[in-house]
Amino acid sequence: MFVSFFYKLKQAGIPVSPTSFLTLHRAVDRGLVNSVDDFYVAARTVLVKSEKYFDRYDQVFSHQFHGTELPKQQDEELDFWAQAMLDEWLKNPKQAAAAMGIDEKDLQEMSIGELLDYFKERLRKQKGRHDGGSKWIGTGGTSPVGHSGYHPGGMRVGGQSRNKSAVQVAAERRYRAYGTDRPLTSDTIGEALKRLRNMVPRGAKDRLNIEESIYQTMKNGGEIEIVFDRAIVDRLKVILAIDNGGWSMDPYVALVQTLFSYAQAQFKDVRTYYFHNTIYDTLWEDPARYKKPVALNSLVHCDPDTRLIIVGDASMAPYELMVPDGSIYAFERSGSPSIERLRFLSELFSHSVWLNPVPDSHWRYTRTIGMINEIFSMFPLSLDGLEQAVKHLMRKYP
Amino acid sequence: MDNQGFKGSSTYVLDEELAKIVNISMALEMPLLLKGEPGTGKTMLAHAVSETLGMDLIVLNVKSSMKLVEALYQYDTLTRLNDSRFGDSARDVATIGDYIKMGKIGQAFTAEQRCVLLIDEIDKADSDFQDDMLDVLDQMQFDIIETDEVISARTRPVIIITSNAKKDLSDPFLGRCNFHHIAFPEPAMMRQIVAAHFPDISDTLATGAIDLFYEMRSIEAIEKKPATRELINWLRALQADPDFRGGELLSREIPYLGVLFKKSDDYRKSLDFVHQKGRFRN
Repeated sequence: MFVSFFYKLKQAGIPVSPTSFLTLHRAVDRGLVNSVDDFYVAARTVLVKSEKYFDRYDQVFSHQFHGTELPKQQDEELDFWAQAMLDEWLKNPKQAAAAMGIDEKDLQEMSIGELLDYFKERLRKQKGRHDGGSKWIGTGGTSPVGHSGYHPGGMRVGGQSRNKSAVQVAAERRYRAYGTDRPLTSDTIGEALKRLRNMVPRGAKDRLNIEESIYQTMKNGGEIEIVFDRAIVDRLKVILAIDNGGWSMDPYVALVQTLFSYAQAQFKDVRTYYFHNTIYDTLWEDPARYKKPVALNSLVHCDPDTRLIIVGDASMAPYELMVPDGSIYAFERSGSPSIERLRFLSELFSHSVWLNPVPDSHWRYTRTIGMINEIFSMFPLSLDGLEQAVKHLMRKYP
Repeated sequence: MDNQGFKGSSTYVLDEELAKIVNISMALEMPLLLKGEPGTGKTMLAHAVSETLGMDLIVLNVKSSMKLVEALYQYDTLTRLNDSRFGDSARDVATIGDYIKMGKIGQAFTAEQRCVLLIDEIDKADSDFQDDMLDVLDQMQFDIIETDEVISARTRPVIIITSNAKKDLSDPFLGRCNFHHIAFPEPAMMRQIVAAHFPDISDTLATGAIDLFYEMRSIEAIEKKPATRELINWLRALQADPDFRGGELLSREIPYLGVLFKKSDDYRKSLDFVHQKGRFRN
């Protein structure tokens, strides 16, 4: 019974185990499951062990029992990414209308869903280079637009739905925002912060705890038991370099800043710099990248133990990275190509990561992402990516 | 196995889905692992289950440095040492069994009747603790090494485990549990929860406060969103204030924000929000 359902769940990437499948059968045998609704709840509680898979479970369930189309995973990501940018964009509809080549009036009449579809269509078709660097991402294929589950009024997750059949409930996809492989949003900032809290250095276990040693020795009936504590070490210093040029980064700049300003107390020092697309000879202390330049070479005075975190989409025209005078700003042209400067940074700071809001499944479509990935360890700007990045930054021997 | 299902209690409002999950876990005799934001009533659920089904509740509050043995039993060497020197107690120094005290899990296993065992915030402990616990919960028995005695459960307790998702739990551990994630309640549900806590609250106050509460929960980028617990406390504060008890004033002024927002940054953001709201009105 339900074997195909089980395998569909497995195919969808949910780690289901045969043991739990048998448990589910035990539940069915005992007459605990009397309707599709019961089955929806029972199968989820027994088979699915993390809320991050709830959304996918909902999709598979409504596919199996209702015949809805299973959206391709890649489309899903595009959905999400497009949505984040669109939200940001719609704060300025005029600009959005111009950029998408629609009349502003028409734009107002389109629903968000239509707009999103149109927008994604554009993303898919865009093959040439956009002015000012290739900011458009390429996409995997030409599959039709998967159904977009836009929730008006921002994201809504969970909650309960009475008086609805399980199929309807599943189709609602209440658990969408729990996926940890999605780009960061302000809803998940609390979760992100928890990941960041692990960025605390641990000292060596070499301090004798006399009180505890005496207690444990007594407990041991007099046999000596020595207890050591960790040495106290200073908090970390962090340099945060954010790409704040170009609309593709807009939704994430404020988010990353908020994230680190919350985490400030756990660090000794957080310095934030800005750049556009890639780094040449200067970083900027002011977001406008105009008033307060900081020479890249001056960073040699920093503590080499400082953690360098670069946030950017790493997507640009290859020449911006490779050609000695590649910068799109004339005054930044200094003679050495940006890629050399990035290498310099990565050698200067042995603990460094690059966080990229572009989902990692799209990385291979942009050449410059691959090139920068060779220099810096790159992680997607999602909860999972952040977790890995923190782990990478805390490695003892880089 | 009793056929009495669990249907919620006087102070706990239960949604249907969760009721089904609790009943399935009880019937399958598997531990139920609950995850969810703080303040969604994970711990309250165990209390409600024990209350409605008339079972005793045994709570194991997991601490970060806890070893599993502490939760099973404790061998009180200090008392034994003391007794052997002064010998003025009723205990027999030669019998080790006299110095074994049951921990929370041990108590649940040796209880006369089926009870509810709540293992609260398991993610605080390290993964060794979870792995060690697997076998115990699987076999429903453990050894007392000092006396070479096997303690097995007389009745399988109803086990409810909560986690705040600070750390991921190991796969084998998850494999032996049923899982549910409690989402934050919807406004309509929240109204019911409020009614369960304050049966005679004025409707204007409750509705007004809940609306504001959800509005403030959605302020951009706050770190710690206020949860049910905060709302209940806030309502308590509002009710204690004669000016606000009726609820009419709430549309003009929002007091006691400190009850809802406990981080200084969040508090500041909530103040901004209130100011902005004030500007709209004038």
